[in-house]
Amino acid sequence: MTGLVLDQLLIALGMGVLGAMIFAGIGLISGSDETTTLAPLTLLVVLLGVPAPGVLTFFLAGAVAKHMTHAVPTALLGIPGDTMATPLMREANLLRNLGVPHIALRKMISGAVIAALIAVPLAVLFAVMLGPFGDPIKRAAPWVFLAAAVAIAWFSKGRLAAVLALIPFVLVIVGLQAVTAQYGVKLSVSYFLGIAIGPLIAALFSLLAPNERQAMSRTQARTFSLSPDVKGWGGYFPNPLRVLDRKQALWTGATAVISSATFVFSPVAMTVIMGEVVGARVKHVYHRLTTVIAARNGVTEATYIAEALIPLIAFGLPLSPVAAGPAAPLFNAPPRFTVDAASGQVNNLHNLLSTWEFLGYGMAAVIIAVLVAYPFTMNYAHRAASFVSRKISHEAVISTFVGLILVIGIWEGGALGLLVIVTVGLLGGLLSRFVGFNIGVQFMGYYTAVLTVPALAALLAG
Amino acid sequence: MKQQLYEVWGDTVDSRHLGYSILIGAVVSLSAFFIAQHVLLGWVASAQMARAYAMLVGILGCLGAGAISACLFKPKRIVVEHQADPAQRALLLQELKEEFGDLGTLADLPASTVTELKEMDLYELFAAEERAASSVRAEAPHANTLAVPPAALAVKGGRP
Repeated sequence: MTGLVLDQLLIALGMGVLGAMIFAGIGLISGSDETTTLAPLTLLVVLLGVPAPGVLTFFLAGAVAKHMTHAVPTALLGIPGDTMATPLMREANLLRNLGVPHIALRKMISGAVIAALIAVPLAVLFAVMLGPFGDPIKRAAPWVFLAAAVAIAWFSKGRLAAVLALIPFVLVIVGLQAVTAQYGVKLSVSYFLGIAIGPLIAALFSLLAPNERQAMSRTQARTFSLSPDVKGWGGYFPNPLRVLDRKQALWTGATAVISSATFVFSPVAMTVIMGEVVGARVKHVYHRLTTVIAARNGVTEATYIAEALIPLIAFGLPLSPVAAGPAAPLFNAPPRFTVDAASGQVNNLHNLLSTWEFLGYGMAAVIIAVLVAYPFTMNYAHRAASFVSRKISHEAVISTFVGLILVIGIWEGGALGLLVIVTVGLLGGLLSRFVGFNIGVQFMGYYTAVLTVPALAALLAG
Repeated sequence: MKQQLYEVWGDTVDSRHLGYSILIGAVVSLSAFFIAQHVLLGWVASAQMARAYAMLVGILGCLGAGAISACLFKPKRIVVEHQADPAQRALLLQELKEEFGDLGTLADLPASTVTELKEMDLYELFAAEERAASSVRAEAPHANTLAVPPAALAVKGGRP
């Protein structure tokens, strides 16, 4: 028995290290989106049959490590590491122009370390508090998803346009499912990948259309200015509490506590709001920039962790933008993990891990990610940014993602899988570009199609 | 051959290189997947596991395709080592003042932040600015009150 427990523990720790190392590398490539990278690889880990603790540590360590290293392009190159980093761009650019981008980077990731360590226990605590509401929410799942989809659409950039765009989008998914069902093919991953990678698919189609092609044409390559390297501490492992001063550490901690409690709002929105709250309370402009950037990055980290963990622990249903997107395979990865709408039955990490296991493995994952990615980023940021921007062409990144579309599509459903990815990707990508119908809304649209539409049909028939 | 540059998915690419990269991505990853599936189906007992492992090999194939493309096609980026020059810093201070209104005083800062500013050679910049601001205040109090933007803007952090 103890041997079995030890085995599980070792697998969990090993998967955590693996996730942290893979995603620390991916984070350096600017623009590599979380959903397009975390979701497929986590899915793979689930389907390969890795034990539940290993799945959790892989995902969480990967997410935390990626957040750390994506601060490198954000601070040093002035391009957002991914969508989560966009609210930090202004402070990052101002500090970069002051000639201290390394300070921006250090404040950011030190804030992230503090916030991540706070967020896991708090997310578990809030999930336990929400636990009693779990059963009614599970029974009402189809309607909860509909409400969540409308709410998330309303708070997206598209507002009413995004809410209304839900209808055709959901219809297309229902239609595609009916078509593939005729050939005995049931798909889920293909929809996720199509949604996640939609912007790339839409961009490639646009490039083939003469008019759009002209608009996308550029006379010269983009210029990136890379800031010089300065190291301000001895040894390999810096102490985040010394990188931040007391006030910064306190603000980061406080905003992390608040944002850990929220799991339905978009992380980007929380980050903006919390940054304003902190910024209004720091007087000197330099101190304000560094405090806000530390707190903001802490908030993205805390919200992200809370959005993945709270719905998973409390309900087992993917009821937040993060849970429906990058963390989706923790909830739904058929045939291993399933969410059944009609009965409200879930079979995923929610059932496979106890609350204490979530806390223990969650903390272990965060600590592993911090041990791997924090000193790496603090010490090698400049060299890593220089290597990525000089050696890894965008063509190579696109080549990898095209391969991913083909392999996953054909693996899941043959030619039909591939067609579904391209159809959903093109539609979603265009909707996102023209009416602000973003990826988070699209994921909720998918769940509406899968969960709400059958319930609605049953209601109307009855 | 002249380069045809386009902005696709957030960065610049050359259209011919992009075409070849997509082809390489397709061929390498799919060959890896199909070969692995063919071999593993005869070798692993469970067909489902065989296909899952084949997908893993296929994903490694994607990374291989990315590596090949990275070796063949250089990035279309101009990377310059950036050094903030003093003239630009003065300009930036002006920009900060317009955005935030009051820059605050160095006396408000905790000791650790003052040390940090001194290490970055930024202390003198802010100190000089503060001296200039206080002399302006002494001479023309009215001009200074006008220069401070409405409070609402300061609370918003000056975001448009």
